[in-house]
Amino acid sequence: MEAITTSRRNFLRLVGLGVPAAAALAACSGSTPSQTGAGGGSGGGAKGAATYWFLTGQPQQGIREDTVNRFNAANPKTKIATTEFQNDAYKQKIKTAIGAGKAPTLIWGWGGGGLKSYVDAGQVVDLSGWFGQHGDIKNRIFPSAFGAATVDGKIYAMPCETVTPIVLYWNKKVFDTVGAQPPQSWGDILDLVPKFNAKGIAPFSLGGQSRWTNMMWLEFLYDRIGGAEVFQNVFDGQKNAWSQPASIQALTECQKLVKANGFVKGFSSITADSNADQALLYTGKAAMMLHGAWTYGSMKSDGGDFVTGGHLGYMNFPPVDGGKGDPSDTVGNPGQYLSISSKASAAEQEIAKKFLSTTLLDDTEIQKWIASGNVPVVKGTRSKLAAVSDKTDAAWLTFVYDTSSKAGNFAQSWDQALPPTAAETLLDNIAKLFQLSISPQQFADNMNKVIGT
Amino acid sequence: MTTAAVPRRTAPSRAVRSGRNGPVAWMALPALGMFLMFGVVPLLGVLALSFAQWDGLGAIHAAGLSNWRSVLSDPGLPHALWVTFLVMFLSWAAQTPLALLIGVFLAGHQPYRAVLAVIYFVPLLLSSAAIAITYKALLDPNFGLGPGLHLGILTQDWLGKPALALGVVIFVVSWQFVPFHALIYQGGVMQIPAAMYEAAAIDGAGRVRQFFSITLPQLKYTIITSSTLMVVGSLTFFDLIFVLTAGGPGDATRVLALDMYKRGFQANLMGPASAIAVILVLVGLGLALLLRRIGGGASDSQLEGA
Amino acid sequence: MATTVHTPSPVTAAPHQKEHAGLRRLLRLNWLGGAASWLWLAVVVVPLYWIVVTSFKEQRAYFTNNPFAPPTAPTLDNYKLVVESDFPRYFLNSMVVALGTTVPAVLIAFMASYAIVRGSGSRFLGGVSGLFLMGLAIPLQATVIPVYLIIIRMGLYDSLLAIILPSIAFAIPLSVLVLSNFVRDVPKELFESMRVDGASEWGMLWRLAFPLTRPALVTVSIFNGLTVWNGFLLPLILTQSPDKRTLPLGLWTFQGQYSVNVPAVLASVVLSTLPILVLYAIGRRQLLGGLTAGFSK
Repeated sequence: MEAITTSRRNFLRLVGLGVPAAAALAACSGSTPSQTGAGGGSGGGAKGAATYWFLTGQPQQGIREDTVNRFNAANPKTKIATTEFQNDAYKQKIKTAIGAGKAPTLIWGWGGGGLKSYVDAGQVVDLSGWFGQHGDIKNRIFPSAFGAATVDGKIYAMPCETVTPIVLYWNKKVFDTVGAQPPQSWGDILDLVPKFNAKGIAPFSLGGQSRWTNMMWLEFLYDRIGGAEVFQNVFDGQKNAWSQPASIQALTECQKLVKANGFVKGFSSITADSNADQALLYTGKAAMMLHGAWTYGSMKSDGGDFVTGGHLGYMNFPPVDGGKGDPSDTVGNPGQYLSISSKASAAEQEIAKKFLSTTLLDDTEIQKWIASGNVPVVKGTRSKLAAVSDKTDAAWLTFVYDTSSKAGNFAQSWDQALPPTAAETLLDNIAKLFQLSISPQQFADNMNKVIGT
Repeated sequence: MTTAAVPRRTAPSRAVRSGRNGPVAWMALPALGMFLMFGVVPLLGVLALSFAQWDGLGAIHAAGLSNWRSVLSDPGLPHALWVTFLVMFLSWAAQTPLALLIGVFLAGHQPYRAVLAVIYFVPLLLSSAAIAITYKALLDPNFGLGPGLHLGILTQDWLGKPALALGVVIFVVSWQFVPFHALIYQGGVMQIPAAMYEAAAIDGAGRVRQFFSITLPQLKYTIITSSTLMVVGSLTFFDLIFVLTAGGPGDATRVLALDMYKRGFQANLMGPASAIAVILVLVGLGLALLLRRIGGGASDSQLEGA
Repeated sequence: MATTVHTPSPVTAAPHQKEHAGLRRLLRLNWLGGAASWLWLAVVVVPLYWIVVTSFKEQRAYFTNNPFAPPTAPTLDNYKLVVESDFPRYFLNSMVVALGTTVPAVLIAFMASYAIVRGSGSRFLGGVSGLFLMGLAIPLQATVIPVYLIIIRMGLYDSLLAIILPSIAFAIPLSVLVLSNFVRDVPKELFESMRVDGASEWGMLWRLAFPLTRPALVTVSIFNGLTVWNGFLLPLILTQSPDKRTLPLGLWTFQGQYSVNVPAVLASVVLSTLPILVLYAIGRRQLLGGLTAGFSK
């Protein structure tokens, strides 16, 4: 039977495939040294070489790498090895690594609830004493940035990199065609909505599919209506804090805007990470957008002459009539945070601390952040920002600096501030709120259940 | 390798049952070994975790039955089960007829069919991240398919309305996997002897009649194989839904595997997540038994009695 | 059972049958199948066209033009970016992992299927079969942490082998399920006749069962290969160094902290798909031959 002869051929063919695969495996697996410098592959296990993990994406990645390179050049015997990961992948990877005792020496993070979960698990080093000894370093940094780095009164991370508040952007050209003025209050916003809709322009762009974009609205409304204490009560674990009158009012006002078609049609299908929401603003399809300060850079490079031609307007979120909140308050990312793994060896921890005290946020790095269009989280850079050669950029940077430094309260994004369990429930409920599938009362009930978890 | 005395063919049933000329059990050992080490042991670990409280970061504490109680009483669980079955059934219902038709078509002989087959194969090679990025862009109500092709009907809130989002998930899954199943069916069809069709044609059977009387029955095992792959695959299907809708809007597309991942890795509740994982395994077991009853029940070959 | 030979079309067709040949050909035209296939072609091609066209666009022009219009200023920058970013390495890693998983997994699953079917009276094998059945729906995301710990203990962390070994294990249950169905299909009389000729079980495994279950082997190989090729979770958790990354992780280079460089990601997608597509186009005949192999009537 011919079947028999072909079978042997097939078998040999398969083995023929398998052998080079196995050989390649043997060559590639195991002992190949990591590309990024000293030390083996596993997190904090390498002898004497500290490790540092952070996110991909320019320009931040490049600036971080540059800082590490300068440290390594100055400390050739005690280098730091870096590895970079994509955002979502990083969140998963860092947890798995910490949980298995393989954390990097320097843990990059967002502070807040995430940091607290590290603290509760005993995985990060208490830096309060260290900051006490290095008062000069502590004083250089924006005081508001330390809020998200502090857990139970002790500091567990060093704020670094940039401060990015949430800003209300508006398209000047679109406003001119409609003959409108930028809103000075929440009431103005509601009045502007029908004007833009009548002209076929979406009043607000929103990348609702990403959920945290919706959250920014609630953060401001809560603050403007009831002051920073409203969310603080939630954060402190006060029972039924979500049912506070100001909370319900804020949720209701938010749904009012949704019902009035204040947001672009189909906003729940628009993703933020593809910059589709920003595109709506700079192509003139939307009049305004509430978004993070980091979007300035991408709007500048992708939006043609939108930013460079001076068509971009920006302001802090306006006050709500009758609201108790301080109109100078802002929300967003008060910084990014570097912690030191408590499971790293003493030598590695020393290297990390040296990095924090000598090279992190040194003048070169500060200059690079400014050049990339961001405001570093250190005090006293206003003159440098104002001196930036591009006048549009200078105006923007000083605006961000003023907003951040003069804010009565700089609240951290809720999904970072809250513990991970509650944060997940929060984002789910916010999505449903914006889709009008739950009422403010139901939102409060659902969220009350996870307070303090 | 010759062996000694060969049993007569006079007692077929006995010969069949002890139908070996040497032990065969050892052949299953490599697979068993790998599976034990990387499948069963971790599963036991997961089972143990379902009785513990762990946030993935710190120490593991025993928690008794509390995880199970909270998971079983959570209304999210039946919902996730429902969504999972919905996705499973709908994607089977969407893919099978389509793959069948295309597979039969591709089994023909025109040269352009080869080109079609190659093009159809491309979606299979794309990773979930790539597909998600592509579809999220195409479904954008302002910059996507609808506005691009000026087709109003395509400009919907695809990812915002629950029913539409579910439809999108089914569609994208089908888009990716139909070519694979079409390939299976194509192979199956090409195995059907032409003699059967000739005989039927002589008897006066038309195209449609031939399809239902010959093609489908002969493809029975192919259909079962393809369906098995589809159904079991969709139970643990996670990657694409995670990057495309992340379970949204709300929880409209939150299949069981996604629910488990979110609980464990995003909400840091590894205990309840492990309980859901065990439930998933049990559901899969039930499905597999069902499939085996359907597929393996007929222990005689489909080709006998031809 | 009668094993009739595959009858070729009768050369000596009766005259009246030849007359009806035209009508029969018309009836043979598969309208529904054809329509479905052309419609499906459109459905498949539109997103693919979008992918290719966008990969030549600059990120800044990405939103301002019609998504389906060809780029006004086509650029190869995205492709340059991809090639410079260690892409060949990721591709190689993906290939090694895919082959290194599929070949062993299918082979040992086949051996196990054979054992289960041929030794169907044995309690041990019945138990093994039941065990594999239970393993069908083990969710990868749940077991990934214990697997991670096992891999670390074995000292394999951050190697390609770390991805391969668990992938093989996870491919086994489904492969065994499908393959055992097909092995069960092989008529017992054929085994009988081979045994009369003095073959051992091992010999029958490779010389009888293997060729006759080729369609299933091909199917299962493709399925497992594709699953591993596009696999994301295991490479993420079990490797770390950039030079161990597989293609799905390679997309990270273009995904930043706040936004994604879509044209670059798409260029990477195009580059990673093309070689496999070429392989498939060339090997398709073989593939189909494999799928239709088997004993004919």
